[in-house]
Parts: sequence; structure tokens; C-alpha cells
Amino acid sequence: MSRLIAQKLFTKQSMAPSLLCIRSYHPIAKDFVKPITIEPLTYTTDSLQSKVLDHCLSNNVPKYGFKEKSIVESIKQLELSPSLVSVLGASNSPSFVHSSPAVLELIKYHLVTKRYELTKDIPQENIDHNNGLPSLEELLVKRLQMDIPIGSQLTDLFAQLSMPSQFLMETALPELLNLADDMIYFSNEKDHFDMAWYTKRLGVAFTYVASKLFMAQDISPNFVETMNFAHEKLNNVMKLGDYYNNTEEFAWYTLMVSVNLIKSQLSRN
Amino acid sequence: MYRRSIVSKVTQKKPLSKLSPLRAKSSPTTENTNEQTAKFEQFSSAQKAYLDRVVRVDQAGELGADYIYRGQIYVLSHKHPHLRPILDHMWKQEVHHRSTFNNLQLKHRTRPSLITPLWKLGATAMGVVPAMLSPEAAMACTEAVETVIGNHYNEQLRCLANQFNMEKTDGTKDEPEEIKKLTDTIKEFRDQELEHLDTAIKNDSHMAVPYKLLTEGIKSICKVAIWTAERV
Ligand SMILES: [Fe+2]
Ligand SMILES: [Fe+2]
Repeated sequence: MSRLIAQKLFTKQSMAPSLLCIRSYHPIAKDFVKPITIEPLTYTTDSLQSKVLDHCLSNNVPKYGFKEKSIVESIKQLELSPSLVSVLGASNSPSFVHSSPAVLELIKYHLVTKRYELTKDIPQENIDHNNGLPSLEELLVKRLQMDIPIGSQLTDLFAQLSMPSQFLMETALPELLNLADDMIYFSNEKDHFDMAWYTKRLGVAFTYVASKLFMAQDISPNFVETMNFAHEKLNNVMKLGDYYNNTEEFAWYTLMVSVNLIKSQLSRN
Repeated sequence: MYRRSIVSKVTQKKPLSKLSPLRAKSSPTTENTNEQTAKFEQFSSAQKAYLDRVVRVDQAGELGADYIYRGQIYVLSHKHPHLRPILDHMWKQEVHHRSTFNNLQLKHRTRPSLITPLWKLGATAMGVVPAMLSPEAAMACTEAVETVIGNHYNEQLRCLANQFNMEKTDGTKDEPEEIKKLTDTIKEFRDQELEHLDTAIKNDSHMAVPYKLLTEGIKSICKVAIWTAERV
């Protein structure tokens, strides 16, 4: 019986995409072969796809935005076959609300690789949360600064990201939570094993999105206003997390007192 | 490796419990000490998803156990002081189990169960309510819970033994160190859970009225809880 269940579990190829299935179990990296892809991307970092998308992000997106034109320009500049455009987005199902599967791939590539870059210089082994790690705010600001070159394209990017679609559920939101998870894990922030685990991640994700929205409208030199905003917002949100925990403790205390009361009532008879 | 052999020795020395058939036989894996450089192929996504579930459901389960014993101690220690040291001993082991899985959750970056507050509430009720009926009812509750947990751990041990013998870069096959460690942890805990089960029976769990209704009811609740905690 149990073997049957196990078999069923292990032959199932793809897990149902859901917010509760964001990146799961992390093995101890040193015992394993280094992965050749950056999850959830399916192609290696030295593949043709990566090369084109990389070139596109750094050269053409700042100019033309997250549009097919950027990709076409990159393919031209790299002197590759124009048919590559349709290959790039092959893993994305066509969407009515988005311009093209290739653009979706470009956005996905942007989100995933930027998240990876954010923490790749931090030693991945023996994480010690009390020692030698940046603060949550430092990571948040660093991530925001990474998008300064595409500052003028952020409004459009947001429009494409927040469109209610399969892409939002399968890529945009999970990536946002992955980013929040990375920021907490690779910073000196205290982590939790109860509801606070969720509230903290949601709080960081919320702060990041709010700051990004602010950034899209920001015209201050070098986005200083955005960085100030992020600082304020993060402080407020973290306070909120504390409130939640205090509330749970209080509810717990109330429960114990009431049980005590019932108990004394019962033993009276 | 050292720890591993110690654990299996201890298990063999112990007197046979009434429910010894519950203890699954999992074959010991052969240890190779000479390869430091050979690495394992990556886990498949199904393997990762399975480990993710294991950590989450066990963490939630041990949290539940912690709160059940807390509830029992809270109700019983005053009126039945002779039970206090027995309950305390079991509770301390549960606290250790729980903190072990808490650390695994943070280390392997899995998420805790989303309905943690609900587990706390439910487990406290499961500790407090039978204990208010009678000390025997509390023991019957322990018996039911530990039976389900013992079976559940055995199921996990079987799956870990069957599905995680992995390819290495030098062509050999072995279990990764973290799987061996997890197996050891679960074995150790399973044995302690079954000790708790014996303790409950020794302390007259069978005298509880209504015994069948209590144990069967609690067993089904536990099974539903396990199913839920694996997923949510
Ligand atoms: Fe336990
Ligand atoms: Fe137990």
C-alpha cells in the first residue's frame, strides 16, 4: 500500500503550480552536483536563450522596454536567426493579455536572474544569521538599485506582471515570494517556524512591490526618494509583524485563562 | 556513521514492546568513507517535494505532541501528582523532537504549516479534554496518538529507504548524508513515541471509559491532521 502511494508520488512529473508550492526543500549544496540551471529557468546559463535574453536586458530593454522589439533587436545585433524569437518563449503558453510568449520569457528571465544575482556573492554554506550577513534593508535597497537602468520601463513592466493570468500565478507571484524568501534567508533577519514565517515573507514582498511602484513614478536623481520610501515602509511593515505575534500570544494567554476558569467551575461540583 | 550504529544498538537492546511489529525493518545502508569528492546528482523535484512534506508534517506533529502533553500536565499534575514525572519525561522528549524539526525547517528552507495556530489550539484541546475526563482517558489519548505517529514515522522510514538511493558522480550509489541523518532522527523519535505508547498502556489507558470511542476517534482525527499538515 505504502509502496503504491510512494510510486504514485514519485512518478508524478510536475507538481501542481500553487502559491503553497513555492521553492521547497533545499538540500545541503556541498554534497550535490552544482545545478546547471537557475531554477525555475529550464535552460543553462551558457545557452543561446540566456545569451540573447541577457544581451536584451542590458542593451535593449532600457531603450525599448519589455517588448518584442527589444528581443528582435538583440537577435539582430548578435547576428542570430530571426526565427529564434518563437523558440525563446516556447515554454510559455500563449496568453491573450500579454504581447508574446517570448516577452513573457524575457520578463521571467529578468525576475529570476536578478534575484539570483542579489545573493550570489554571499557564501551559500553554513549560513549564520548572527554573523557576516547583510541586513534585510541592505538587500532590499540593493535589489531596487539593480533596476535603476530600466527605471523608465517599470510602469510597463508592472502592467504586464499584474495582469490576471496564468503567468501571474505561475511565475510572477512565486518569483516575488522567492525573492522575499531569499532576502530573509540571506540577511541577519530572525526567521520563524510559525505564522510569523508567512507574515514576514508577505511583509517583505509587500514592501518590495510598494517600493517598486513608488520607483516607477520617482523622478528624483538616482531614485533617492525611492530608497527613503523603502526604508520607511520596511520599518513599518516589520513592526506590523511584531504586532501579529503579540496578538497570537495574547490570544493564547486568554485561552489558558478561560480554560482555567472552566476547570475551576467544573471541579466545584 | 558512529551515531547511526549507536542508535541501532540501542534499539536492539531494549525489551520488546507489545507493539514491536510496528517497528519497520529498514535495511542499514552500506557506508563508504573513502569518497570525499564524489557528489550526488540533484534531487528530483518529486524527491524534494516529498522531503518538504516530511519536514512540514513532522514539525506540525511534534508541535501537536508538545501541546498535548502541556495540556495534560496542566490538568493532571495538580490532582494526580504521581503522574507528573511520567508526563514531564514524555513532554521533554516531545519538546526535543519539536525543536529538532524546527531547526530542520529553517535549515532546509521549507515552509511551516500554514495553519500552525490551529494545530496549537487543536492539540491543546486534545490534551486538556480527555485529561479532564480522567487520567486513564488522557492515557488512552496518548496511546491513540502515538500509535498513529509510530505508523506514520514507519511509513516515512520505508519511503526514505526505498526512494533515496542516489547516483553519484563516480558511478556508485548511496544515500546523501542528510537523508541518513534524517532517517536516524526519525528512527530515534519513532522509538521514543513507541515508548510513550507503552507508558500509556502501563498507566491503564485500557481502563478508560469509553475506551474504543476515545481511541478510534482520536486516531481518525490524527490521520486527518497528518493529511492536512502535509498539504497546507
Ligand atoms: Fe514526538
Ligand atoms: Fe510522543
